[in-house]
Amino acid sequence: MPARTLRAAPAVLFLALALPACSATAPTPAPSQPLRAALVTPTDIDLNWTDGRPDVAGHVLEFATAETGPYTPLQYLARHVTTYRHPDLMPHTTFVYRLRAYRGPASAPVRVDLPPGKPTAADENSPHDWLPPRDRPGPRGARHALRTGSAAPGELRAVIKHANGIHFTWRDNSSDEDGFLLEIRRTGGGAYEPVAVLDPDVDSTGLITLPDEKHASYRVRALVLGERSQAVRLTTGE
Amino acid sequence: MHARLRTLVVTTAVCGSSLLAAPHALAEVEPGGWQSVSPTHTVQERGCGQVDGLTFRLTCSTASGDQRAERRYATYTGGTRQFEGSFRVTSLSGTRISLKQTFHESGSGPYFMLAVERGGRLYAVHGGATLSTAGTVGATVRVNTVHEVGREHRTYINGSLKHTYASPGGSFYDKFGAYRTNSGSGPATVEWSGIRFWRK
Repeated sequence: MPARTLRAAPAVLFLALALPACSATAPTPAPSQPLRAALVTPTDIDLNWTDGRPDVAGHVLEFATAETGPYTPLQYLARHVTTYRHPDLMPHTTFVYRLRAYRGPASAPVRVDLPPGKPTAADENSPHDWLPPRDRPGPRGARHALRTGSAAPGELRAVIKHANGIHFTWRDNSSDEDGFLLEIRRTGGGAYEPVAVLDPDVDSTGLITLPDEKHASYRVRALVLGERSQAVRLTTGE
Repeated sequence: MHARLRTLVVTTAVCGSSLLAAPHALAEVEPGGWQSVSPTHTVQERGCGQVDGLTFRLTCSTASGDQRAERRYATYTGGTRQFEGSFRVTSLSGTRISLKQTFHESGSGPYFMLAVERGGRLYAVHGGATLSTAGTVGATVRVNTVHEVGREHRTYINGSLKHTYASPGGSFYDKFGAYRTNSGSGPATVEWSGIRFWRK
Protein backbone atom coordinates (compact mmCIF):
# COMPACT_ATOMS: atom_id res chain seq x y z
CA MET A 1 0.00 0.00 0.00
CA PRO A 2 1.45 3.42 -0.83
CA ALA A 3 2.34 5.46 2.16
CA ARG A 4 0.33 8.61 2.77
CA THR A 5 1.53 11.56 4.78
CA LEU A 6 -0.99 13.31 6.95
CA ARG A 7 -0.33 16.80 8.16
CA ALA A 8 -1.48 18.43 11.33
CA ALA A 9 -5.18 19.23 11.50
CA PRO A 10 -6.26 22.86 11.15
CA ALA A 11 -5.17 25.08 13.93
CA VAL A 12 -8.78 25.67 14.91
CA LEU A 13 -8.90 22.18 16.38
CA PHE A 14 -5.84 22.80 18.47
CA LEU A 15 -7.26 26.12 19.61
CA ALA A 16 -10.49 24.45 20.60
CA LEU A 17 -8.56 22.02 22.73
CA ALA A 18 -6.55 24.77 24.32
CA LEU A 19 -9.41 27.20 24.98
CA PRO A 20 -10.41 25.91 28.39
CA ALA A 21 -7.01 27.02 29.65
CA CYS A 22 -7.21 30.42 27.93
CA SER A 23 -10.45 31.95 29.16
CA ALA A 24 -10.36 35.59 30.18
CA THR A 25 -11.13 34.81 33.80
CA ALA A 26 -8.79 32.36 35.40
CA PRO A 27 -10.83 29.38 36.56
CA THR A 28 -10.92 28.59 40.22
CA PRO A 29 -8.78 25.50 40.76
CA ALA A 30 -10.84 22.45 41.58
CA PRO A 31 -10.23 21.01 45.02
CA SER A 32 -7.76 18.17 45.24
CA GLN A 33 -8.36 14.91 47.05
CA PRO A 34 -5.49 12.65 48.03
CA LEU A 35 -5.15 9.20 46.57
CA ARG A 36 -7.54 6.73 48.20
CA ALA A 37 -7.82 2.98 47.85
CA ALA A 38 -10.68 0.63 48.71
CA LEU A 39 -10.92 -3.14 48.63
CA VAL A 40 -14.22 -3.61 46.78
CA THR A 41 -13.95 -7.41 46.64
CA PRO A 42 -11.32 -9.60 48.31
CA THR A 43 -9.14 -9.30 45.18
CA ASP A 44 -10.21 -6.04 43.49
CA ILE A 45 -8.92 -2.62 44.52
CA ASP A 46 -10.50 0.67 43.43
CA LEU A 47 -8.41 3.83 43.52
CA ASN A 48 -9.62 7.41 43.23
CA TRP A 49 -8.22 10.91 43.51
CA THR A 50 -8.68 14.43 42.22
CA ASP A 51 -6.05 17.02 41.35
CA GLY A 52 -7.20 20.57 40.88
CA ARG A 53 -3.85 22.02 39.83
CA PRO A 54 -4.39 23.49 36.35
CA ASP A 55 -0.88 22.79 35.06
CA VAL A 56 -0.97 19.05 35.69
CA ALA A 57 -1.52 17.11 32.44
CA GLY A 58 -1.95 13.71 34.05
CA HIS A 59 -0.57 11.13 36.44
CA VAL A 60 1.46 7.96 36.43
CA LEU A 61 -0.11 5.33 38.68
CA GLU A 62 2.49 3.00 40.22
CA PHE A 63 2.16 -0.14 42.32
CA ALA A 64 4.40 -2.37 44.39
CA THR A 65 3.91 -5.40 46.61
CA ALA A 66 6.63 -4.37 49.03
CA GLU A 67 6.51 -1.01 50.72
CA THR A 68 10.10 -0.35 49.73
CA GLY A 69 9.37 -1.15 46.08
CA PRO A 70 10.35 -1.63 43.40
CA TYR A 71 7.39 0.22 41.95
CA THR A 72 6.00 -0.68 38.53
CA PRO A 73 4.03 1.85 36.46
CA LEU A 74 0.52 0.54 35.92
CA GLN A 75 -0.64 3.23 33.53
CA TYR A 76 -0.19 6.80 32.39
CA LEU A 77 -3.55 8.47 32.99
CA ALA A 78 -4.77 11.69 31.38
CA ARG A 79 -5.87 14.56 33.58
CA HIS A 80 -9.57 13.76 33.30
CA VAL A 81 -9.07 10.23 34.69
CA THR A 82 -9.53 10.12 38.45
CA THR A 83 -10.37 6.46 39.10
CA TYR A 84 -8.68 3.13 38.40
CA ARG A 85 -9.63 -0.47 39.17
CA HIS A 86 -6.81 -2.96 39.74
CA PRO A 87 -8.58 -6.29 39.27
CA ASP A 88 -8.06 -10.00 40.01
CA LEU A 89 -5.15 -9.40 42.34
CA MET A 90 -2.84 -11.84 44.03
CA PRO A 91 -4.59 -13.04 47.21
CA HIS A 92 -3.21 -12.29 50.66
CA THR A 93 -0.80 -9.78 49.18
CA THR A 94 -0.16 -6.19 50.22
CA PHE A 95 -0.44 -3.68 47.38
CA VAL A 96 1.04 -0.20 47.69
CA TYR A 97 0.04 2.59 45.26
CA ARG A 98 1.17 6.12 44.55
CA LEU A 99 0.64 8.74 41.85
CA ARG A 100 3.20 10.87 40.12
CA ALA A 101 2.10 14.04 38.32
CA TYR A 102 3.36 14.91 34.86
CA ARG A 103 3.28 18.22 33.00
CA GLY A 104 4.11 19.47 29.53
CA PRO A 105 2.63 20.84 26.30
CA ALA A 106 1.24 18.83 23.39
CA SER A 107 1.74 19.26 19.65
CA ALA A 108 -1.00 20.17 17.22
CA PRO A 109 -3.04 17.04 16.44
CA VAL A 110 -3.03 14.97 13.29
CA ARG A 111 -5.95 12.84 12.12
CA VAL A 112 -5.38 9.33 10.74
CA ASP A 113 -7.98 7.24 8.89
CA LEU A 114 -6.63 3.74 8.34
CA PRO A 115 -7.79 1.52 5.48
CA PRO A 116 -10.40 -1.08 6.42
CA GLY A 117 -9.46 -4.67 7.13
CA LYS A 118 -6.29 -6.28 8.34
CA PRO A 119 -2.72 -6.08 7.02
CA THR A 120 -2.00 -8.44 4.13
CA ALA A 121 0.46 -11.29 4.51
CA ALA A 122 2.94 -9.17 2.57
CA ASP A 123 2.36 -6.32 5.00
CA GLU A 124 2.88 -8.64 7.97
CA ASN A 125 6.09 -10.01 6.54
CA SER A 126 7.49 -6.67 5.44
CA PRO A 127 10.27 -5.09 7.49
CA HIS A 128 8.91 -3.11 10.40
CA ASP A 129 12.08 -1.15 10.97
CA TRP A 130 9.93 1.99 11.24
CA LEU A 131 8.30 0.61 14.39
CA PRO A 132 10.91 1.03 17.16
CA PRO A 133 11.09 4.46 18.80
CA ARG A 134 14.21 6.30 17.77
CA ASP A 135 16.05 9.58 17.81
CA ARG A 136 16.47 10.43 14.13
CA PRO A 137 19.91 11.56 13.02
CA GLY A 138 20.43 15.00 11.58
CA PRO A 139 20.76 18.60 12.70
CA ARG A 140 18.57 19.89 15.48
CA GLY A 141 16.93 23.23 15.91
CA ALA A 142 16.91 25.35 19.02
CA ARG A 143 15.40 23.71 22.06
CA HIS A 144 13.83 25.23 25.14
CA ALA A 145 13.39 24.04 28.71
CA LEU A 146 9.96 22.69 29.58
CA ARG A 147 10.36 23.63 33.21
CA THR A 148 10.72 27.33 32.46
CA GLY A 149 8.63 27.77 29.33
CA SER A 150 6.60 26.11 26.61
CA ALA A 151 8.34 23.83 24.13
CA ALA A 152 5.64 21.73 22.53
CA PRO A 153 6.73 19.17 19.94
CA GLY A 154 6.27 20.48 16.40
CA GLU A 155 5.65 19.27 12.86
CA LEU A 156 3.86 16.06 13.82
CA ARG A 157 3.49 13.81 10.75
CA ALA A 158 1.77 10.45 10.38
CA VAL A 159 2.46 8.01 7.54
CA ILE A 160 0.15 5.03 7.07
CA LYS A 161 2.28 1.91 6.65
CA HIS A 162 -0.51 -0.67 6.39
CA ALA A 163 -4.03 -1.36 7.66
CA ASN A 164 -2.85 -1.42 11.30
CA GLY A 165 0.42 0.47 11.14
CA ILE A 166 1.24 4.17 11.48
CA HIS A 167 4.65 5.83 11.55
CA PHE A 168 4.87 9.12 13.45
CA THR A 169 7.63 11.73 13.34
CA TRP A 170 7.87 15.10 15.05
CA ARG A 171 10.33 17.84 15.97
CA ASP A 172 11.71 17.73 19.49
CA ASN A 173 11.66 21.34 20.75
CA SER A 174 12.46 20.66 24.39
CA SER A 175 15.81 20.29 26.11
CA ASP A 176 14.86 18.77 29.44
CA GLU A 177 11.98 16.37 28.84
CA ASP A 178 11.67 13.11 30.76
CA GLY A 179 9.95 11.60 27.74
CA PHE A 180 7.08 11.97 25.31
CA LEU A 181 3.51 10.72 25.32
CA LEU A 182 1.76 9.72 22.13
CA GLU A 183 -1.90 10.49 22.79
CA ILE A 184 -4.97 9.25 20.93
CA ARG A 185 -8.55 10.48 20.63
CA ARG A 186 -10.71 7.92 18.85
CA THR A 187 -13.48 9.12 16.59
CA GLY A 188 -16.55 9.38 18.77
CA GLY A 189 -14.38 9.25 21.84
CA GLY A 190 -13.88 11.94 24.43
CA ALA A 191 -10.57 13.35 25.55
CA TYR A 192 -7.07 12.42 24.44
CA GLU A 193 -5.52 9.50 26.30
CA PRO A 194 -1.91 8.28 26.41
CA VAL A 195 -1.25 5.38 24.08
CA ALA A 196 2.54 5.18 24.23
CA VAL A 197 5.30 6.59 26.39
CA LEU A 198 8.65 7.27 24.80
CA ASP A 199 12.15 8.03 25.98
CA PRO A 200 13.69 11.52 25.97
CA ASP A 201 14.98 12.75 22.58
CA VAL A 202 12.81 10.27 20.65
CA ASP A 203 11.25 11.90 17.59
CA SER A 204 10.04 8.88 15.60
CA THR A 205 7.93 5.88 16.50
CA GLY A 206 5.57 3.38 14.95
CA LEU A 207 2.23 2.26 16.33
CA ILE A 208 0.30 -0.94 15.67
CA THR A 209 -3.33 -0.06 16.25
CA LEU A 210 -6.17 -2.01 17.80
CA PRO A 211 -9.50 -2.62 16.01
CA ASP A 212 -11.24 0.38 17.57
CA GLU A 213 -8.50 2.74 16.41
CA LYS A 214 -9.14 2.83 12.65
CA HIS A 215 -10.16 6.48 12.84
CA ALA A 216 -8.48 8.68 15.39
CA SER A 217 -6.56 11.86 16.05
CA TYR A 218 -3.11 11.79 17.60
CA ARG A 219 -0.80 14.29 19.24
CA VAL A 220 2.57 14.14 21.00
CA ARG A 221 3.19 15.65 24.42
CA ALA A 222 6.61 16.46 25.85
CA LEU A 223 6.52 15.70 29.55
CA VAL A 224 8.39 16.28 32.76
CA LEU A 225 7.67 14.14 35.77
CA GLY A 226 6.73 15.92 38.98
CA GLU A 227 5.99 15.22 42.58
CA ARG A 228 4.67 11.96 43.94
CA SER A 229 1.56 11.52 46.08
CA GLN A 230 1.49 9.81 49.41
CA ALA A 231 1.48 6.03 49.28
CA VAL A 232 -1.62 4.01 50.15
CA ARG A 233 -1.61 0.31 51.00
CA LEU A 234 -4.17 -2.45 51.19
CA THR A 235 -3.93 -6.20 51.69
CA THR A 236 -6.08 -8.47 49.56
CA GLY A 237 -8.10 -11.37 50.94
CA GLU A 238 -8.65 -14.91 49.72
CA MET B 1 -10.31 4.65 30.38
CA HIS B 2 -8.88 2.44 27.75
CA ALA B 3 -7.17 -0.41 29.58
CA ARG B 4 -4.06 -0.45 27.49
CA LEU B 5 -0.81 1.39 27.37
CA ARG B 6 1.57 0.20 24.75
CA THR B 7 4.70 1.78 26.05
CA LEU B 8 5.85 2.73 29.47
CA VAL B 9 9.33 4.09 29.80
CA VAL B 10 11.03 6.51 32.16
CA THR B 11 11.56 3.56 34.44
CA THR B 12 14.47 5.04 36.30
CA ALA B 13 12.17 7.73 37.56
CA VAL B 14 9.56 5.42 39.02
CA CYS B 15 11.55 2.60 40.59
CA GLY B 16 13.27 2.12 43.85
CA SER B 17 11.97 4.86 46.07
CA SER B 18 11.57 4.11 49.75
CA LEU B 19 8.49 5.73 51.22
CA LEU B 20 7.74 3.25 53.96
CA ALA B 21 10.04 1.04 55.92
CA ALA B 22 9.66 -2.73 55.55
CA PRO B 23 12.14 -5.44 54.67
CA HIS B 24 12.05 -6.10 50.95
CA ALA B 25 12.58 -9.84 51.45
CA LEU B 26 9.33 -10.10 53.40
CA ALA B 27 7.16 -9.10 50.46
CA GLU B 28 4.33 -11.56 50.24
CA VAL B 29 3.03 -12.65 46.89
CA GLU B 30 0.01 -14.93 47.23
CA PRO B 31 -0.57 -16.61 50.63
CA GLY B 32 2.46 -16.55 52.91
CA GLY B 33 4.94 -19.18 53.88
CA TRP B 34 7.25 -18.53 50.98
CA GLN B 35 10.96 -19.09 51.30
CA SER B 36 13.25 -17.05 49.10
CA VAL B 37 15.53 -19.23 46.99
CA SER B 38 18.33 -18.61 44.50
CA PRO B 39 18.36 -21.37 41.90
CA THR B 40 21.39 -21.63 39.67
CA HIS B 41 21.15 -20.88 35.96
CA THR B 42 22.94 -21.34 32.68
CA VAL B 43 22.99 -18.93 29.74
CA GLN B 44 21.74 -20.21 26.38
CA GLU B 45 22.65 -18.49 23.12
CA ARG B 46 21.51 -20.12 19.89
CA GLY B 47 21.50 -18.80 16.34
CA CYS B 48 21.51 -15.02 16.46
CA GLY B 49 20.72 -14.90 20.19
CA GLN B 50 22.98 -12.77 22.37
CA VAL B 51 22.92 -12.43 26.16
CA ASP B 52 24.56 -9.54 27.99
CA GLY B 53 23.68 -9.74 31.68
CA LEU B 54 19.90 -9.35 31.78
CA THR B 55 19.67 -7.96 28.22
CA PHE B 56 18.58 -10.53 25.65
CA ARG B 57 18.81 -9.89 21.91
CA LEU B 58 17.78 -11.62 18.71
CA THR B 59 19.77 -9.80 16.07
CA CYS B 60 18.32 -11.45 12.95
CA SER B 61 14.95 -11.75 11.23
CA THR B 62 15.46 -15.44 10.47
CA ALA B 63 12.05 -17.11 10.66
CA SER B 64 13.36 -20.65 11.09
CA GLY B 65 15.73 -22.61 13.25
CA ASP B 66 16.75 -22.11 16.85
CA GLN B 67 17.06 -18.39 17.58
CA ARG B 68 17.23 -17.79 21.31
CA ALA B 69 18.85 -15.76 24.07
CA GLU B 70 17.80 -17.08 27.47
CA ARG B 71 18.59 -17.96 31.06
CA ARG B 72 17.70 -21.53 32.01
CA TYR B 73 17.22 -22.08 35.75
CA ALA B 74 17.64 -25.24 37.83
CA THR B 75 15.11 -28.07 37.62
CA TYR B 76 12.46 -28.52 40.34
CA THR B 77 10.28 -31.54 40.86
CA GLY B 78 7.59 -30.71 43.39
CA GLY B 79 6.06 -28.26 45.83
CA THR B 80 5.02 -24.74 44.88
CA ARG B 81 7.36 -22.35 43.08
CA GLN B 82 7.09 -18.69 42.36
CA PHE B 83 8.96 -16.61 39.78
CA GLU B 84 8.96 -12.81 39.72
CA GLY B 85 10.58 -10.51 37.20
CA SER B 86 10.02 -7.39 35.16
CA PHE B 87 10.70 -7.05 31.47
CA ARG B 88 10.85 -4.20 29.02
CA VAL B 89 10.82 -4.86 25.29
CA THR B 90 13.09 -2.05 24.14
CA SER B 91 12.82 -2.89 20.43
CA LEU B 92 10.68 -5.28 18.45
CA SER B 93 10.83 -5.10 14.68
CA GLY B 94 9.94 -8.78 14.56
CA THR B 95 6.96 -10.48 16.16
CA ARG B 96 5.81 -13.35 18.38
CA ILE B 97 8.81 -13.55 20.68
CA SER B 98 8.60 -15.75 23.78
CA LEU B 99 9.64 -13.92 26.93
CA LYS B 100 9.15 -16.43 29.75
CA GLN B 101 8.65 -20.18 29.82
CA THR B 102 7.84 -22.80 32.41
CA PHE B 103 9.37 -25.89 30.82
CA HIS B 104 8.09 -29.42 31.50
CA GLU B 105 11.41 -31.23 31.40
CA SER B 106 9.99 -34.69 32.04
CA GLY B 107 6.97 -34.11 29.80
CA SER B 108 6.15 -32.42 26.55
CA GLY B 109 8.59 -29.52 26.76
CA PRO B 110 7.47 -25.88 26.80
CA TYR B 111 4.42 -26.22 29.03
CA PHE B 112 3.74 -22.49 29.48
CA MET B 113 5.11 -19.74 27.21
CA LEU B 114 4.44 -16.03 27.66
CA ALA B 115 5.06 -14.25 24.37
CA VAL B 116 4.61 -10.81 22.83
CA GLU B 117 3.21 -9.95 19.43
CA ARG B 118 4.16 -6.95 17.37
CA GLY B 119 1.99 -4.18 18.75
CA GLY B 120 2.24 -5.36 22.30
CA ARG B 121 -0.32 -8.09 22.92
CA LEU B 122 1.00 -10.51 25.54
CA TYR B 123 -0.35 -14.00 24.98
CA ALA B 124 -0.01 -17.58 26.14
CA VAL B 125 1.44 -19.52 23.21
CA HIS B 126 -0.44 -22.70 24.12
CA GLY B 127 -4.08 -21.82 23.66
CA GLY B 128 -3.41 -18.30 22.43
CA ALA B 129 -5.14 -16.57 25.34
CA THR B 130 -4.48 -12.86 25.44
CA LEU B 131 -2.97 -11.99 28.79
CA SER B 132 -2.47 -8.26 28.50
CA THR B 133 -2.04 -5.49 25.99
CA ALA B 134 0.56 -3.71 28.09
CA GLY B 135 3.64 -5.38 26.67
CA THR B 136 4.90 -3.31 23.79
CA VAL B 137 8.14 -1.65 23.10
CA GLY B 138 9.21 0.36 26.09
CA ALA B 139 6.68 -1.03 28.55
CA THR B 140 7.87 -2.18 31.95
CA VAL B 141 5.74 -5.19 32.83
CA ARG B 142 5.92 -7.27 36.00
CA VAL B 143 5.33 -11.00 35.74
CA ASN B 144 4.65 -13.45 38.59
CA THR B 145 4.10 -17.14 37.92
CA VAL B 146 2.96 -19.43 40.74
CA HIS B 147 3.35 -23.11 39.97
CA GLU B 148 1.80 -25.76 42.20
CA VAL B 149 3.36 -28.84 40.62
CA GLY B 150 0.69 -31.43 39.91
CA ARG B 151 -2.13 -28.94 40.42
CA GLU B 152 -2.08 -25.49 38.80
CA HIS B 153 0.05 -22.81 37.12
CA ARG B 154 -1.05 -19.18 37.53
CA THR B 155 0.31 -16.12 35.73
CA TYR B 156 -0.05 -12.58 37.06
CA ILE B 157 0.67 -9.54 34.88
CA ASN B 158 1.22 -6.35 36.88
CA GLY B 159 -0.35 -8.02 39.90
CA SER B 160 -3.54 -9.19 38.15
CA LEU B 161 -4.34 -12.85 37.51
CA LYS B 162 -4.42 -13.34 33.73
CA HIS B 163 -3.96 -17.07 33.13
CA THR B 164 -4.67 -20.30 34.98
CA TYR B 165 -3.52 -23.63 33.63
CA ALA B 166 -3.80 -27.17 35.06
CA SER B 167 -0.41 -28.68 35.82
CA PRO B 168 0.77 -32.26 35.59
CA GLY B 169 3.44 -33.63 37.90
CA GLY B 170 7.05 -34.19 36.93
CA SER B 171 10.13 -32.02 36.63
CA PHE B 172 10.05 -28.39 35.45
CA TYR B 173 12.31 -25.37 35.13
CA ASP B 174 11.95 -21.63 34.54
CA LYS B 175 13.45 -19.82 31.54
CA PHE B 176 13.28 -16.21 30.46
CA GLY B 177 14.84 -13.97 27.82
CA ALA B 178 13.96 -13.72 24.13
CA TYR B 179 13.11 -16.79 22.07
CA ARG B 180 11.66 -17.06 18.56
CA THR B 181 8.32 -18.93 18.60
CA ASN B 182 7.44 -21.30 15.75
CA SER B 183 5.65 -18.52 13.88
CA GLY B 184 7.81 -15.60 14.99
CA SER B 185 11.05 -13.84 14.16
CA GLY B 186 13.36 -11.13 15.46
CA PRO B 187 14.95 -8.70 15.72
CA ALA B 188 14.08 -8.05 19.32
CA THR B 189 15.72 -6.70 22.45
CA VAL B 190 14.32 -7.50 25.88
CA GLU B 191 15.66 -6.19 29.18
CA TRP B 192 14.76 -8.12 32.34
CA SER B 193 15.15 -6.90 35.94
CA GLY B 194 14.12 -7.73 39.50
CA ILE B 195 14.37 -11.50 39.14
CA ARG B 196 13.32 -13.37 42.30
CA PHE B 197 12.29 -16.91 43.18
CA TRP B 198 10.45 -18.44 46.11
CA ARG B 199 9.34 -21.93 47.11
CA LYS B 200 7.14 -23.51 49.78
